[in-house]
Amino acid sequence: MAATIWKLVNLNTKLNPSLGGSVRYGHHLRGKPPGVARSLEQRLEELNFKDPEIHYKVNIGFAKKQLKRNAVLSERITILKDNHRNQDLEKKARTNKLEIDLDNVRKEWLKTAGPEHIKRIANHYGIFDDLYGDAYFHPTVPLHINYEIGDGQLPIYYGNVVKPSDAKVKPKISFESDENTFWTLIMTNPDGHLTMENKEYVHWFVGNIPGNKVESGETIVDYMQPIPPKGSGYHRHIFVLYKQEKKLDFEQLKKSGPCLTLSERTFSTLDFYRERQDDLTPAGLVFFQSDWDATLTDFYHDVLNMKEPRYEYDFPETYVKPQEWFPLRQAFNLYMDRYRDPKQINKEFLKRKLQKVHPFKAPEKPVPYPNAVPWNGYVPSWLKLEKTKSMNKWGRVNDIE
Amino acid sequence: MSFLKFVPKRYLSNDAIKPMLTNRNPRNLERMRIGYKPDGYHLENDVRNYWHKLNLDVSARYVSASVHHFKNGEVLSASTKEWAIKKQLYRNNDAAAFKNLGRVLAQRCMETGLTELHSDIETKNPDGKVALFLNALQESGITLKEPIQYKKPRAWDQERPEKSWEIQ
Repeated sequence: MAATIWKLVNLNTKLNPSLGGSVRYGHHLRGKPPGVARSLEQRLEELNFKDPEIHYKVNIGFAKKQLKRNAVLSERITILKDNHRNQDLEKKARTNKLEIDLDNVRKEWLKTAGPEHIKRIANHYGIFDDLYGDAYFHPTVPLHINYEIGDGQLPIYYGNVVKPSDAKVKPKISFESDENTFWTLIMTNPDGHLTMENKEYVHWFVGNIPGNKVESGETIVDYMQPIPPKGSGYHRHIFVLYKQEKKLDFEQLKKSGPCLTLSERTFSTLDFYRERQDDLTPAGLVFFQSDWDATLTDFYHDVLNMKEPRYEYDFPETYVKPQEWFPLRQAFNLYMDRYRDPKQINKEFLKRKLQKVHPFKAPEKPVPYPNAVPWNGYVPSWLKLEKTKSMNKWGRVNDIE
Repeated sequence: MSFLKFVPKRYLSNDAIKPMLTNRNPRNLERMRIGYKPDGYHLENDVRNYWHKLNLDVSARYVSASVHHFKNGEVLSASTKEWAIKKQLYRNNDAAAFKNLGRVLAQRCMETGLTELHSDIETKNPDGKVALFLNALQESGITLKEPIQYKKPRAWDQERPEKSWEIQ
């Protein structure tokens, strides 16, 4: 019976569509239902999965110094108990005036959680990936590097920003070491090679440093300040301190003088380390980020004797849907403009602008309330829109200004 | 090749460069505000559109604060569990602990160049511990708001957003 009733209704709608012309086709789910189908997150995770058997990292540094619990526990307990008995400390804490000494915190942190934290942040900055590929190390030897600016000092930590004008002179270096040991310090920039990909510029290379006297070390490549070109963003400048097993011969890498030919400063930490991995162990790490500043123009012109390079980020092209023969519900002018040569459009805008420009007269004053200007006579709606846009400086007008 | 002698060496060396330069620094685009920032999930409690986010974890005994990256997870942390901080405190979760934790985390953020963080942490009491923590961070120079991502405008778009990297 039900079937016949349906037929009847259908017939009726055909005869008189105004009775209820719409037809319901029902609801269809495309693909699997939400509970069963994988979410975007799961699918991305599957896509980006890296097999730990293939993509594992090797530790090439020294072992972290593990503090033994038994050795420090009794000392720590006495300190904590003293703190609890300390009435002055309690008063400060309760009146909210307690301010702990941040330098002390840093010192203690470097001895305990520091190396692990530094390794984590260096990983975040992609330091190990770009310098060593599939290897990493824990910076077990704290490295203190300070640039001197005026009277003050500008320390380098793990990614702070230092402008090139503040890093003109080579910094002061200090680290703790035995007198009978030899060290190598290398400063490189993996982000700014102007001619080759996946290469670095070595900014400073001191080898065979006896103890911690960097001045007595053998300067292999002289110091050069950071030179991040305009528009290329923030470059990492990485200091790595290696411990040498013995005195090494760096004669092959040696560059005489200030070495102002950039191609001579091409460097690859990975190749350098691979050749000498039996005699070198990375032990210290600090790095800073640097971006262009106005002092670099002179440095490029006067010192490096070259044109100043300028870059701009290469954005992906805007996607435009393929053009249709019969675009429905589209404004004809806006739709057609989308498929025209943008240079041609800009030319038209420029022409219109130049028509109003007089070589000897001052430019017209802009109208204070552009949207309140009355239209003279009949103006079609599309032209109204175009005029409003140019008055308010909306849209394509901005491309020629 | 003898004629090359007359050409000063300086014109031969540095000027030959490639038109494209690749900056490999993974944080560069985020700092320039053009890097990808996740979007969507607007109906969920946990907001996901951030590059770096500040987290605060309060337990019965200790307070921990950390900075999370949308892709790399936790990248920075400080906690009153750490001996370096605990050593100088009277208690590990009182108001002074919150305030000093904020100072320590701010110092670490400054040292690592992460000065703008996204924060969802709500302060119910303006004089409470959490507010002290957030104030300490801000007083030390951390901004608790991230700039919006710059997206290249299409030719027909109304506005042309400012290019943050061109402002000096």
